[in-house]
Amino acid sequence: MKITTDEARRIAELGHLSLDAAGLEKMAAEMTRILSFVDQLAEVDTSAIDAVPEETTPMREDVPRPSLDRELVERNAPDWADGFFRVPKVIGE
Amino acid sequence: MSSVLDLPLHEAQEEVSARDYVEASLRAIGERNPQLNAFLHIAREASGAFPIAIKDNIVTTDMPTTCASKILPRFVSPFDATVITKLRAAGAAFPGKTNLDEFAMGSSTEHSAFGAVRNPWDTSRVAGGSSGGSAAAVAARMVPVALGSETGGSVRQPAAFCGIVGLKPTYGRVSRYGLVAFGSGLDQIGIFSKTVRECAHVLGMIAGHDPLDSTTSARAVDDYAADLDRGVRGTRFGVISEAADALQGEIRKNFEDAVEVLRSGGATVQRISIPTIKYAVAVYAIVANAEASANLSRFDGVRYGHRSAGADSVHDLYVKSRGEGFGAEVKRRIMIGTFALSSGYYDAYYGRAQRVREKMRQDFEAAFRSVDLLLTPTAPEAAFKIGAKTADPLTMYLSDVFTTPANLVGIPALAVPSGFDSQKLPLSLQMMGPQFSERMMFRAASFFEKQTCYWKQKPAL
Repeated sequence: MKITTDEARRIAELGHLSLDAAGLEKMAAEMTRILSFVDQLAEVDTSAIDAVPEETTPMREDVPRPSLDRELVERNAPDWADGFFRVPKVIGE
Repeated sequence: MSSVLDLPLHEAQEEVSARDYVEASLRAIGERNPQLNAFLHIAREASGAFPIAIKDNIVTTDMPTTCASKILPRFVSPFDATVITKLRAAGAAFPGKTNLDEFAMGSSTEHSAFGAVRNPWDTSRVAGGSSGGSAAAVAARMVPVALGSETGGSVRQPAAFCGIVGLKPTYGRVSRYGLVAFGSGLDQIGIFSKTVRECAHVLGMIAGHDPLDSTTSARAVDDYAADLDRGVRGTRFGVISEAADALQGEIRKNFEDAVEVLRSGGATVQRISIPTIKYAVAVYAIVANAEASANLSRFDGVRYGHRSAGADSVHDLYVKSRGEGFGAEVKRRIMIGTFALSSGYYDAYYGRAQRVREKMRQDFEAAFRSVDLLLTPTAPEAAFKIGAKTADPLTMYLSDVFTTPANLVGIPALAVPSGFDSQKLPLSLQMMGPQFSERMMFRAASFFEKQTCYWKQKPAL
């Protein structure tokens, strides 16, 4: 699978990653190499495996319990005011 | 010079007071860490019955957790991981947090934002990865035991490179609550130790159901040390043909000698084919990275971790914080994973990888109908030189060719020292068993260890 620089840019946008032009070019080449290696999976006959069994997550009762201590959460917050995480303006982007 | 840290855990505890034991460990860390870079954080003091080192992607309330990433500076978790809570209850002391590849992504610990770990047997070589710090810490006798984590061999491969025991338990045997998630369908906390007995002992402390990790099994925890002296008479081993046939030189000879040790103990050995095993690294590259791309979306500069100073919108904040905080390998894996899950490629990559994975699971299931345990070398080579594989990510991934299958099919696997090559670098035998067969694996590995005694050799530092 050949990944072009444009394709790498599109994937980086989906993954919320910033890469400069040189970084994108290098990334495209590395992805091409890794995905070309992965392409060998096409030679495996998986026709007998029509569905991969999904392990279901066991459910639990929805019982209230204490959540994280706000003070401890605040300690790790990059920007915090009045009990909230502060972020740049969201509306009107 | 001999020290209490050369002894297995239980013998050391009889020899010295708890206080002296933990202090000896802190002193050894202080002396040897500058050479090895195994620890990212060293506790000023620690108290408990025995010391255990913790990989720095397992959260602790009394020490920072960095995941060896610049995106998590100064992060201190508001809660302890379940394994930490259990170890505290068992009397453990925590002398420090160990170095790793950033977010456990790598096979050499060279992808740490804080520099590579050096192999105690030859400091020009890697300690393996991603749990290289924990492996080096045990091998260099800084701690008797350590925790690591595995998504594709990150305990067993560094255990092999450092000449110690490394266990990846069955998927669901040990709670991952508080293990910073990488590939949630594969992740499992593992154990490093000098001897099999210490490993069995620690697994007994940390195994079991946890309401905070719904993937943990409700199955009762075994008495893992109960069969350690029972030998291998009658045990049926399978040598995986696809692995054995690919071996060359000293690795091949070492593996054949190891198999012979088991045979001489009264075990039977037969060849077994697992045709899909050669696709494990390719399957892993898609499945693990797809899960990683989703799991690492939480690092966005909003609630914790690095926040870019130059952002003028919330979208810009995400992109810049992640761009500045993540290292090259983490970005590469997020990119591969995002690609594999993206519209138009999902079925051809993620879907196909999952189907091959299911076929591999069926291959293993069939194998375990005729043998009890499967054998391969743990790694296809001994520890490589620092820098030898960093230029080509794919070459690095292939270092995990024998270890990734156990993660993909959810079975337990154990690495046990099998000797040294001509350069005095450790080599290792891997045993894989059916789900929840840890007790049987410990019995077989303990027999092998008693016959060979490689654990008594230690690196000269």
